[in-house]
Amino acid sequence: MTTNYPVGITRRSAWLRMIGFHLFLLASLILTLFPFVWMFSTSFKPSGEILSGTLSLIPISPTLEHYRNLFGAVNLFVNLWNSIIFSLVLTILSVILNSMAAYAFAKIQFPRRERLFALLMMTMMVPGQVTMMPVFLILKYAGLLNSFAGLIIPGSVSVFGIFLLRQFMMDIPEEILEAARIDGCSEIGIFWKIILPLSRPVIATLAVFTFIGAWNEFLWPLIIMLKESNYTLPVALANLNGQYNTDWGLLMAGSVLVVVPVILVFLTAQKHYMKGIAAGAGKE
Amino acid sequence: MRNDIFPASRCNILLKRLICLFILLLFSILPGTSRAGTEEKILQFWAMGSEGKLIRVLADRFEKENPEAKILVQAIPWTGAHEKLVTAVVGNLAPDICQMGTTWMPEFEAMNALEPLNSRLNLKNGLSEADFFPESIKTARQNDVLYGIPWYVDTRVFYYRSDIARSAGFNKFPETWMEMYKLCSEIVKAKRQANQPGYAFSLPINDWQIFLMFFWQAGGELFPQAGRETVLSIPEFGKTLEFLKRFIDEKLAPVAAGKDMDLLAAFESGYFPMFISGPWMISEIIRNKPALEGKWTTARMPMDKKYTSFLGGCNLVMFKGSPNRDLAWKFVDFLSRPDIQADWYELSKNLPANRLAWKDARLAQNSHMHAFREQLEDAKAPPCVPEWEQIADVLSGTMEAALFGKTPSGEAAEAANRNIARLMRVQPESMGKTAIIIAASAIFLLPLIFLVIFFRTGPGDGNRSHRTPPGMVLFFLAPAIIILVVFLFIPIVASLFASLTNWNLYGLSDPSKVNFIGFDNYRRLWEDPVFWVSLKNTLLFSLLGVPLNITLSLASALLLNRKIVKFKALFRIGFFIPVITTMVAVAVIWRWLYNPEFGVFNQILKTIGLSPLNWLSDTWLALPCLIFMAVWKGFGYNMIIYIAALQGIPESLYEAAEIDGANASQQFWHITLPMLRKTSFFVAVMTTIGYLQFFAEPYIMTGGGPLNSTISVVLYMYQHAFKFYNLGYASSIAYALFVIILAMSIIQGRIQKRLEGSV
Repeated sequence: MTTNYPVGITRRSAWLRMIGFHLFLLASLILTLFPFVWMFSTSFKPSGEILSGTLSLIPISPTLEHYRNLFGAVNLFVNLWNSIIFSLVLTILSVILNSMAAYAFAKIQFPRRERLFALLMMTMMVPGQVTMMPVFLILKYAGLLNSFAGLIIPGSVSVFGIFLLRQFMMDIPEEILEAARIDGCSEIGIFWKIILPLSRPVIATLAVFTFIGAWNEFLWPLIIMLKESNYTLPVALANLNGQYNTDWGLLMAGSVLVVVPVILVFLTAQKHYMKGIAAGAGKE
Repeated sequence: MRNDIFPASRCNILLKRLICLFILLLFSILPGTSRAGTEEKILQFWAMGSEGKLIRVLADRFEKENPEAKILVQAIPWTGAHEKLVTAVVGNLAPDICQMGTTWMPEFEAMNALEPLNSRLNLKNGLSEADFFPESIKTARQNDVLYGIPWYVDTRVFYYRSDIARSAGFNKFPETWMEMYKLCSEIVKAKRQANQPGYAFSLPINDWQIFLMFFWQAGGELFPQAGRETVLSIPEFGKTLEFLKRFIDEKLAPVAAGKDMDLLAAFESGYFPMFISGPWMISEIIRNKPALEGKWTTARMPMDKKYTSFLGGCNLVMFKGSPNRDLAWKFVDFLSRPDIQADWYELSKNLPANRLAWKDARLAQNSHMHAFREQLEDAKAPPCVPEWEQIADVLSGTMEAALFGKTPSGEAAEAANRNIARLMRVQPESMGKTAIIIAASAIFLLPLIFLVIFFRTGPGDGNRSHRTPPGMVLFFLAPAIIILVVFLFIPIVASLFASLTNWNLYGLSDPSKVNFIGFDNYRRLWEDPVFWVSLKNTLLFSLLGVPLNITLSLASALLLNRKIVKFKALFRIGFFIPVITTMVAVAVIWRWLYNPEFGVFNQILKTIGLSPLNWLSDTWLALPCLIFMAVWKGFGYNMIIYIAALQGIPESLYEAAEIDGANASQQFWHITLPMLRKTSFFVAVMTTIGYLQFFAEPYIMTGGGPLNSTISVVLYMYQHAFKFYNLGYASSIAYALFVIILAMSIIQGRIQKRLEGSV
């Protein structure tokens, strides 16, 4: 650790610097965590306490009332299962399809490649809200309404994902691929054995983003699904609101329920951010 | 040689696992097999929000009485209800019965989606129109055709602290405007003397419902005569604005009214001893503020010429084309029965629309209810016109502008009259048939021609040493391209076509009413001041937000990538948490931070001796406030991308640099930054596009206000698409934005190229 510092700096001042640095990080952390902690603590406060007008962080008389109500109000396991299926399948599909396309755009030569890519980029500039109605009608004619296929397929390829992965893959040295080709490796082999492992951090990033996007999606599942038993968690939770009044405790308990799985996914993806194979392979 | 780095066996195990998991998941997403035809008749019933849960109790009772019926209730959240209903009507998938807010009725009538109910009503021993409040039945009628049955009603009354009013010398709530004004001044005077904070009255300054009540009380009318240039009573309009403005000017009411959770707390502390609200507030106060028992009550509106309040609520409607209309009616009839209506009040606290239900002890003996019962006799619903949402928007905007002191009341009344009259004007004539065919084919040919030219003029692709067989290219590209063509390219061309039509609510369920109007939408856009304001806001937002976001995310990624940092995972997730925290929770906290009275920011300003600011209610500050919040919420996203990219920089480069004696800043400028070039390009492009499509923050925090100072292009487009149903116009807004983003990206790309060679 101390080898990082130029010679001449004593061990002690290095330690002091390190502590100061961590205190700074900790302060920033508190700023970013505040709403999250508030959401968490509110879900344990009785309603009267929530509406007391002061936003205290620690519940005075903690209660599990809202979580109990949540189980009564929502068909929790069905909605949770729907959300898991939707987000997980979409994430897997999106990683596969986007990384294949990104590989083609980054490392395979074919006519008009740059133009095709520019065309894809242009589509990102059209706000998604305008295409909602046409996509809905296409799904209707395809008979995919009220099904998970209809929910998943339209979002499984994203120009964002292709762009993100392509930018990363372009930096993978051409020499590695050339060497593999000389060794008789097929394009599929190169993709599977070289490109994918080297792109692990960015694929993990895409997976996290896709998962979060799907997990929090509200309007699309609501419109596509015609049965309540097909609702995902955010849609089911939105039903807890009245037109004018809000049960804050219940709402926050629901929000906690929505956020926790996302954190788990993020922590899983974290592991792929370690320097390892990527750094080793770059040496050549 | 590389096989020792990537052992084949490991890859294969991973591959197998993935495939197994995928097949498993695929099976679970296949559409469920439909059940074989049952003898039961299934009724689809859509109800909104929490009512969708509560109605189950009554549905069960109905099923017991009618064993052949099976009621399938689907709860639709209020937040997405408009979108859900519109897509259902367009897709011909509407339910048998649906709950519908009274102000939505004309829209769906205009879409020709609702079933007329006249023949089912007023039969012997059956339900009759006279059973309901007359104003309420008016909301369901259009040209003498009845399209719905009132389910529950809702009106607004005053909630006030009787103890505070008494100490101001009022033993009962004032009957007239002048007395009410006097009560407010007395309360505030007493507060100033006792050096207490607060106001008399929480008056939302951009709420058309509140405005309409007072307008009606002043004797004003909307559409006093059919088909005239004057669509509202201008003198009364001005008088109402003038009256309400006094409350703001004399600090009897703040520009930022109570919202969310602070309203109840402020009611308890006496900060806002008076506010206007609906029946749901009774149970909220009883449940959450038991200490207030005996210190508050409800009161009918004060009068200028009348005591009128606003009438809202929901009707039950049946959709055309439902196969079970008789059974559906039976259920509607059941829900309208006085005893069921009283039960429904007990379940949901919604006020019965059937007047007979009010004789029930549960309603008749509730003292807080008396004001509502009294008020319902003099409550008015807004006029039934399909363009209502847009008119309401004009009313809210006018109220806001006048109360802020931006426009004098008289002028504001004239302007409101002009704007509403323009909205009601007839649609432009459509083109002839041949013109439509030419235009329609042109619109499909144009993208095609564009594509051909676009691809022909592309830069030549230098031939590399090896050639990939076309089959391989297809293998990698085809799946993605097919999905993109079907679900992205085709919809984009379709919406581009829509931008050249007058596709509005009349054409939603009847495509024959959609007319091709050429570039009229774009011409209208050019002259639309709100569009230009929204464009200015959007550009300002991006100009300030994008650099802030990128700097902050890169800085935090670099910090967290340093070797000396312990608990990396903890800090990463910590900075990422705003990205994943629900917008609802974030909005609550930030509204509290920005709260003019209790908020943290103003507390800080006060401590260091500066005067407090109005943050979100200030036309200058609101946008920077939203930018700050958006950057805070979003920087973790780009930080993660940068962290991933930093992993791709080979360690060997730094080691070599260290041997050469390069210090940390040299390493940053000569290794890190160049190696992050492609990622930075990605981040810059994506962030710019994202910020130019800025939507969620103003949508949730400010709704575009105050005075449109935070409205963004996408929010404006969204309002036109799903609030006003001007789908054609909304599409033209989207493509105007598209051209602007495209231009900016080209410029960005040029700059990028000039700075760093090719990308």
